[in-house]
Order: sequence, then C-alpha cells, then structure tokens
Amino acid sequence: MTALGVLAGALMGCVLLIWVINLIRHGRLYVGYGVIFVFGTLLAIAVLLVPRLLDAVTSASVALVPVPSLSIGAIVIMLFLLVYVFTQITILSNRIMHLTQELAIRGAQRQSRTQPETGEPR
Amino acid sequence: MHMPPGRRSLIAIPAHNEAATIRDVVGRVRANLPDCDLLVVNDGSSDGTAAMLVDSGALVAEHICNLGYSRAIQTAVLYAARAGYDRLITLDADGQHDPEQVRALIAEFDREQLDVLIGSRYVVSRTYAGVPFGRRIGMQLFSRLVAVTAGRRIYDTTSGLKVIGRRAFEPLTQWHFIDFHAEALVYLMRLGFRVGEFPVTVVERRHGRSMYSTISLFKYPLKTLLMLLLGVIQADLTRRRAS
Repeated sequence: MTALGVLAGALMGCVLLIWVINLIRHGRLYVGYGVIFVFGTLLAIAVLLVPRLLDAVTSASVALVPVPSLSIGAIVIMLFLLVYVFTQITILSNRIMHLTQELAIRGAQRQSRTQPETGEPR
Repeated sequence: MHMPPGRRSLIAIPAHNEAATIRDVVGRVRANLPDCDLLVVNDGSSDGTAAMLVDSGALVAEHICNLGYSRAIQTAVLYAARAGYDRLITLDADGQHDPEQVRALIAEFDREQLDVLIGSRYVVSRTYAGVPFGRRIGMQLFSRLVAVTAGRRIYDTTSGLKVIGRRAFEPLTQWHFIDFHAEALVYLMRLGFRVGEFPVTVVERRHGRSMYSTISLFKYPLKTLLMLLLGVIQADLTRRRAS
C-alpha cells in the first residue's frame, strides 16, 4: 500500500471513529453496537500504521481473496451504511424504551394512589 | 406508614426472573424498613416474578419487555424524582443484600452529606480475595480507572446496594449508562457530586442466574471502558457549559 493509501485509510478511520463516538455520546447509537465499530476501527488504523502488520494482513488477504483493491471502497461504504442502519435501530429501540419506562412509572403512580399506605400489605 | 420528618426514602429493587427470591426480599425490606416506600421494577420477567409481587405490599413498575439493569434503575430514579423522594436506595432482588444494613448506610449518607453512597464489599479489606480471577482483574482495573479519571478510588464499583441523593437524580436520567457501575460513578464525580463507600456484607446468590453471561465477560469491560471515557468528556462539557 502506498503512503497516500495509508494516509487516506487512516483519515477515513478517524472520520468513522469521530462519527460513531458522537452518535454514542448523543444516545443515537447503542454502545453495544458502537463498541464493535470503535475497537474495530482502532484495530484497522493500527494495522494501517504498522508496516509489518500491514504487509502480513495484505499478503494474507491477497492469498485468500484475490480481489481488486477498489473493493476496499465498497467495504468502506458498507461500513458507513451499517453504522447508519444501527443508528436507526437504536433510535427505534430508544423510543420503545422510553414508552416502556413511562408505562411502568404511570402504573406505579396509579398503584401508589390506590394504595397510599405502602408500608401495610393489602 | 411512618416517615421520618423531612426526608423521604424510596427503596428500589430491579428484578428480572427472580421469582424464587423476590417475595422474601420484599418481606425482609418491609420488616426492616417500614418507614421507607418500596418499588420493585419488574424488568420484563418471564418466570412468574409479577405473580409473586401481587399483594406483597410493594409498588410495582412493570416493564413490558426486558430493558436491562441500568434502565430498570433509571425507571426507579425517574419515579423517585417525580414523586419527590429525597433518597433512593437500590437493592438486588436475589437476596444478596441484607436490608438490616440499609439503616447504617442511610445514617452515613446523611452524616457525610453525600450524593451517592455505595454499600461496598471491598472497602475494608481492599483486596478482592475469593472473587474469580477474570472478575477480579476487571474489578481492579475499573477501580483504578475510577481513581485516575475521577481522582478518588472506589473499591466496589459493581455493588448493587447504593443510596442515591435527590441532587443526583437529574444527571442519572440524562446520561446513559451500561450498568450504573464505574461509568456512572466517574460521570457523577466529574460533575462534582460526592461519592462514598461504606462497608457491607453480602451473602452468595442461591437462586436464579447472574445477569452476566460468558460473552458479557468480554463485552462488559469494553462497553464500560468506552462509556467511562465518554462520560469524562460529557461531564467536562456539561460543567463547561454550566460555567
């Protein structure tokens, strides 16, 4: 891989990392999904920046799956799409979570009004 | 019900598939702490926990599906905040915590004017003797990480027995946590809240299963580490905005 390729890859990794971290911070990406992207991206950046590791991974991948280097672009696009899909799943899941919590709280509030003496069994 | 003048306390027990123990735990809490209100958050149990809670005398917040431990605690915090409670005391539903120890915890909480007091298994011995190797490493790591990031070492970051003061209710509902463990403590401490530890003893769980599966042994540290670091950033941003 050329120095420019390494730089472009690392830069893309950083963009993905910042985007994912920001999504987690705002509660728009569940941390259980986010942790896979964050540590996966960090690992990929580490591979890119350590020449011997990069050589080993490149020769292994070429031996196993001899595909044109342009396919890396497709993988990157799919990765960004995957983050987007997981974000949408998290948003939906957050709505269900808030609804569940609200129903539970209202149920308990209703119960406390009909059973004011919670210290005494009904 | 006998309420101490001025300050109201809510005991919250998050429960997921704890039918074997929940009735006994509720009974022990009511016998030992008759002046506190009691809320059980039934977190989508499928084993008859809900049936065991009927006529138990506890208020029940029923999650229609399983949301996880931290969301069950968050439901209790939201309920306590809306109902105007001054303190929220969280206990595990598996019977590991002795409700008799809660009075001493509340007394210490009031005396030291803390925002969060943790019922700690390790603050006296300061070792993790008897804890399985993998968990011991994790506990030591997160205990030291709390010291590095928040400036004060907490020896038992995973205790489910906590007293939470009213002041801490709002931040605990506005930020998201994994299990209200190290990441929540660091977030609160970075915001300037006072967190302490008080020694307690726990008994081994005899029924049910721990909420940690084998796969979570790998996922939990990574998730907690990530949320801990994000909590540091978020708390610092919040403080900067406030000032």
